Amino acid sequence: MNEEQIVRLAGVSRVYRQGNVEVRAVDRLDLDIRAGEFSALCGPSGSGKTTILNMIGALDAPTEGAVYLEGRNLAELSRGALSRFRRDRVGFVFQSYNLIPVLTAYENAEFVLALQNVPLAERKERVMAVLREVGMADYADRRPDELSGGQQQRVAIARAVVSEPAIVLADEPTANVDSEAAATILDLMEQLNRDKGVTFLFSTHDQRVMDRARRLIRLRDGRLAADEGRK
Amino acid sequence: MRLNTMAWRSLSRNRRRTLITSLSVALGIFLAVTLTGSGDYSYTNMINTSTIMGLGHVSVAEEGYNDRPSLSRWLRDAGGLRDTAAGLPRVTGAYPRIMGQAMFAAGAKSAGGMFMGIDPALEGTEHNFFLRSVVAGSLFAEADGRGALIGAEMAKKLNLRPGRKMVITVTDKDGELASELLRISGVFRTGDHAADSGIVLVPLNRLRQTLGYGPGGATLLAVYTDDLRRVADIRATLAGKLSSGQEMEVLTWRETQADLAGLIAVDRLFNYLMQLLVGLVIAAGIMNTMLMSVLERGREFGIMLAVGMAPSQVARLVLVESLWLGCLGVVLGIVLTAPWFYYMSRTGIDLSGLVGEDYSAGGVLVDPVLKLRLFRESALAILASVFLLTLAAGIYPAIRAGRVLPAQSIKEK
Ligand SMILES: Nc1ncnc2c1ncn2[C@@H]1O[C@H](COP(=O)(O)OP(=O)(O)OP(=O)(O)O)[C@@H](O)[C@H]1O
Ligand SMILES: [Mg+2]
Repeated sequence: MNEEQIVRLAGVSRVYRQGNVEVRAVDRLDLDIRAGEFSALCGPSGSGKTTILNMIGALDAPTEGAVYLEGRNLAELSRGALSRFRRDRVGFVFQSYNLIPVLTAYENAEFVLALQNVPLAERKERVMAVLREVGMADYADRRPDELSGGQQQRVAIARAVVSEPAIVLADEPTANVDSEAAATILDLMEQLNRDKGVTFLFSTHDQRVMDRARRLIRLRDGRLAADEGRK
Repeated sequence: MRLNTMAWRSLSRNRRRTLITSLSVALGIFLAVTLTGSGDYSYTNMINTSTIMGLGHVSVAEEGYNDRPSLSRWLRDAGGLRDTAAGLPRVTGAYPRIMGQAMFAAGAKSAGGMFMGIDPALEGTEHNFFLRSVVAGSLFAEADGRGALIGAEMAKKLNLRPGRKMVITVTDKDGELASELLRISGVFRTGDHAADSGIVLVPLNRLRQTLGYGPGGATLLAVYTDDLRRVADIRATLAGKLSSGQEMEVLTWRETQADLAGLIAVDRLFNYLMQLLVGLVIAAGIMNTMLMSVLERGREFGIMLAVGMAPSQVARLVLVESLWLGCLGVVLGIVLTAPWFYYMSRTGIDLSGLVGEDYSAGGVLVDPVLKLRLFRESALAILASVFLLTLAAGIYPAIRAGRVLPAQSIKEK
């Protein structure tokens, strides 16, 4: 697997202000993620996992320091460029209710490709392939509210990987499903990582999920507590 | 992107809200059609009724006649003018007439009033309100005879009925008094007090002799059209074709009946203001619906933005939604309004019980039957306003949707 650096956080802090109170959600963090990693951000609630993922995904900006994605400093990109950047280079899986409720599983998976103006025929081929991969091909025409939480997450993963992004950011992707569905989701992510080389960075505070990660980035109060298992 | 599909599905997700909002649009269309329709109908009606009292939609007279009507200002060749006017497009009638003040006397009684000299061979009920309202006897048959068609109230006052005689006294073109014996051929009753008590129709040629006019003389040529929106065109063409023998003025009903034109302008303005108000209330309703729907769907928009949809595309999605809501309202509005309009344009509602005997308002006869009529321009204006208003109502919610912060909205719920 190549050692190309995809994400780099350099001295990143994120401070939330609420009135006079300052919360340091992330505190001078240095971190890098390389292509092909299957890494977990873990730590107790409030340790800054979501905040970090949001900054890497350009949904939030650091108060100090810089976030580089594929070598580009996100702070230097315009709003439009950030939007296109997310569309083309980042895949998102959130904790739950990831899907656009008025679109079917197929249309949800197709959404990003449609935004990229991928030709219809190619779109169809890629979407069906990825839906088969996540085991959701038979549910292609169902709306999100006709799917279980675990099935919705699988469609969300399909949507995240179908555009072949540089990295998939998954914020506690298994937190809202039972352990069996969680295992399926992890199997799926692992398989995509192994077979297709998709880079995953996910957050969790579930020990069973941490056990599946090849690298564990432990956080405490927005700071790096430990970085384990990096190969 | 399948913005239309998405918009349509979002609207059908909350059927009741969509239905209520589009019903309000439909109601607005109903009101607009009713208000504009009654205006289009009643103005046309008022103008027609008033113009067939004598002056026409467009009238030709000697220069200065409209400002100071006088029998000493008269057209020398009204016949030639009539032939010119009658040949113009959209002109449905042109009549030389002589109008002026006179004293009418029968026995020991007398009354002041107006006379109108007409050619019975040319005039018909279409463009002459008095001929339409004959209640006893008939119009005189000969243009150079001694017949007279008299208003019912004056007939009563002078104790006249068909067959009886009266004397008309006028000041001729040179300011000399001239009298003529007339025999009542018929009586009319229009419902307008001023007309019924003060107007007498007399034969045109007889009057020409009495006044000392030549054979083509008349105080004015009254020209009628079947399309009121064309009066300005007709006036312009007619003015361009006038012969140079005499200084003449060509005026439209707006100038010859400035009071009526003013009345209509005020009424129309009021009508439009009312519709604007209704439109704004409805637009506020649409905006409220769209805003509620946008605020509820923060997470959804957050996800769209997170996966790379541009804020402008998200905004467009919401705009498309409000446009569809408007379309739905238009369809419902047409379904709701069509039967009503059909009934009201044909049958109408008879208000004569409410109006009473005198059907005139400010000297203008009012039709006691309320009907609707919609010019194509008005219908298009209503449709265009509905689309513009729904679009405008969608703008703010659309901007709000495009400004959703994904990191915040995805955390919620
Ligand atoms: N919008 C915000 N305004 C103020 N404080 C915030 C905001 N978002 C996060 N925080 C604070 O920042 C800190 C880190 O939050 P974050 O959501 O990143 O933690 P987390 O590790 O994802 O926690 P969890 O496991 O509960 O999801 C917390 O103390 C939180 O209260
Ligand atoms: Mg979190």
